[in-house]
Amino acid sequence: MSNVTKVLIANRGEIAVRIIRACRELGIPTVAVFSEADRNALHVRYADEAYFLGPAPSRESYLRSDKILDVARRSGADAIHPGYGFLAEREDFAGACAESGITFIGPKPSSIAAMGDKAVARATVTRAGVPVIPGTEAEGSLRDEEIVAVAPQIGFPLLIKATAGGGGKGMREVHSTADLPHALASARREAESAFGDGNVYLEKLVTGARHIEIQIMADTQGNVIHLGERECSIQRRHQKVLEEAPSPFVHEDETLRQRMGEVACRAAAAVGYINAGTIEFLVDKEKNFYFLEMNTRLQVEHPVTELVTGLDIVKEQIRVARGRKLSREQDEIKMNGWAIECRINAEDPYNNFMPSTGTIIASILPTGPGVRVDTCAYSGYTIPRFYDSLISKLICWGETRGEALLRMRRALEEYKIVGVKTNIPLHQNLLDSHRFMAGQFDTRFLEERFEMNDATAPHPEVAAILATLVAHRRGQHAAQIVQRGERDTSNWKWVGRYERMHR
Amino acid sequence: MKYATTINDKTYLIEINDDQHVVVDGKTYRIDLAAGSGQALYSLLIDNRSFEAFVDEGDVEGDLRVLMRGDLYDVKVVDERAARLAKSVGGSVAETGDYHLKAPMPGLVVSVPVTEGQAVNKGDILVILESMKMQNELKSLRAGTVTRVKTKGGDSVEQNQVLVTVSG
Repeated sequence: MSNVTKVLIANRGEIAVRIIRACRELGIPTVAVFSEADRNALHVRYADEAYFLGPAPSRESYLRSDKILDVARRSGADAIHPGYGFLAEREDFAGACAESGITFIGPKPSSIAAMGDKAVARATVTRAGVPVIPGTEAEGSLRDEEIVAVAPQIGFPLLIKATAGGGGKGMREVHSTADLPHALASARREAESAFGDGNVYLEKLVTGARHIEIQIMADTQGNVIHLGERECSIQRRHQKVLEEAPSPFVHEDETLRQRMGEVACRAAAAVGYINAGTIEFLVDKEKNFYFLEMNTRLQVEHPVTELVTGLDIVKEQIRVARGRKLSREQDEIKMNGWAIECRINAEDPYNNFMPSTGTIIASILPTGPGVRVDTCAYSGYTIPRFYDSLISKLICWGETRGEALLRMRRALEEYKIVGVKTNIPLHQNLLDSHRFMAGQFDTRFLEERFEMNDATAPHPEVAAILATLVAHRRGQHAAQIVQRGERDTSNWKWVGRYERMHR
Repeated sequence: MKYATTINDKTYLIEINDDQHVVVDGKTYRIDLAAGSGQALYSLLIDNRSFEAFVDEGDVEGDLRVLMRGDLYDVKVVDERAARLAKSVGGSVAETGDYHLKAPMPGLVVSVPVTEGQAVNKGDILVILESMKMQNELKSLRAGTVTRVKTKGGDSVEQNQVLVTVSG
């Protein structure tokens, strides 16, 4: 039995806040760590204690396992929750925790290692009778010439994937031998920069595929259960954008759900898995499903599963880490209603999704029935450029998919973030799309068959009036305040100052 | 004051004489404009119909972008005097020869695949910039010749810093 009496959260952003909340509700004291860029972050404020790690770049702060373990010792934390990203899937870190007598809230190092090396993962799950997609992972690290030679045997289209990868980093799609060299170079470059490992492999691209994943939970007593599926096909550059539970593709096909669930549990059991994990599958039109990978950690999109199963996954993780039995049996897991999550990223959907950094001047959160927001952003918060662009997750629940969609639309309209650009308009357009509403989409939908169509926007006259009024004010104020040729700053600043003066 | 305001090739003639009214193509509306939180979010009542929208600067100098209910409107607002002036000058000024690629956000330059003197096409990659863990390919908006490269791989750059100049 391990004690979990004080939890260090080795992460930042919304997920650190999420984990602190679970600990708070359980009455467990929390320890936050932060980099130079995060002194004003919410997780620092919400935790009981907070310790400075180092400079802003992750390599010098959130990836410094030595410093984090030192903080654990100094603060007396006896457990570490790694969140997602950073050290969450590093078996050496999980191992170092164990050596220091600290409970790692997650799987054993050996499970992380087995699932982290994709070739080993494929071999392991194949032995457990889990289907996989054809590819070169099992061959280990191949040189460019070898990859070019083997590519036609697998057949195009192909995917180049980073051996150490995840989150779409170092991933490239290739349609012909001619495109291979450029794609290989850029994939290796990105993988090298993201993971410090430029090794890549090839995989057959399943067309028309959906990305559906199964959440599993396993305890130390050998119980493995699944919490149903999540639909994650809405992606851009292989990054999930919107997720839902259940999947509209699986929906009433309880047989498919249970088959995928059983296979997922088998894959987890094959590596002696403990704690929360996710098995990602590609599902083709004929409902054949292939193992993609296992994420040996809490997922970004875990809240949709929480809303439909009623289970608090983070609390369940802590329960398992304490050596206790899972709180539910498989037959007690029922999907109730529908949940959707929109990932709100600080990026400009009208400018090729360029990341947008800066200070949030105002943030008006959606509230009301069925709405949950997991965020690290608030008015006055400056988004650092060193970490990823996810600033908030908006999650809505409804009795049916229809109600959840309409509720999400309503919540997106309420959500106002001023000061940085966000992808909220992308979500609004997506929710208006008929194909999305009908559940007819695959992993290529967002990038290839979806457009932000503003030509038919319904209120051009209102927009014209508003823009004219704003331009009018701006012109008048600029004329009153600024002498020609002496303006050293933008009209916008002048308008802002004018409005503050006349409030 | 009179304005000619254009969205999607449709032009509205809008007259503003006081703070409570606008006349659009001869029809009068009661309006009430309030600047909401921050400097870009506005609340507008038009004959008691309530709208909330972001108003921002557009890509072209002087244009505005209105983001309302998930739709983006590119708006050109020209006041009457400016319109007359433009007419007498004979249309807008031709684009100048230099295109300055500026960093759209602070970040780390991964590489600069072009060199000074190199001819580039519109859409060619000029700089690869890493920010928020993503590598972003910054492309040329114009065909021409690279005349200045003011950065190199490994540089940390600030937002709006000029990275590469392409002359047409």
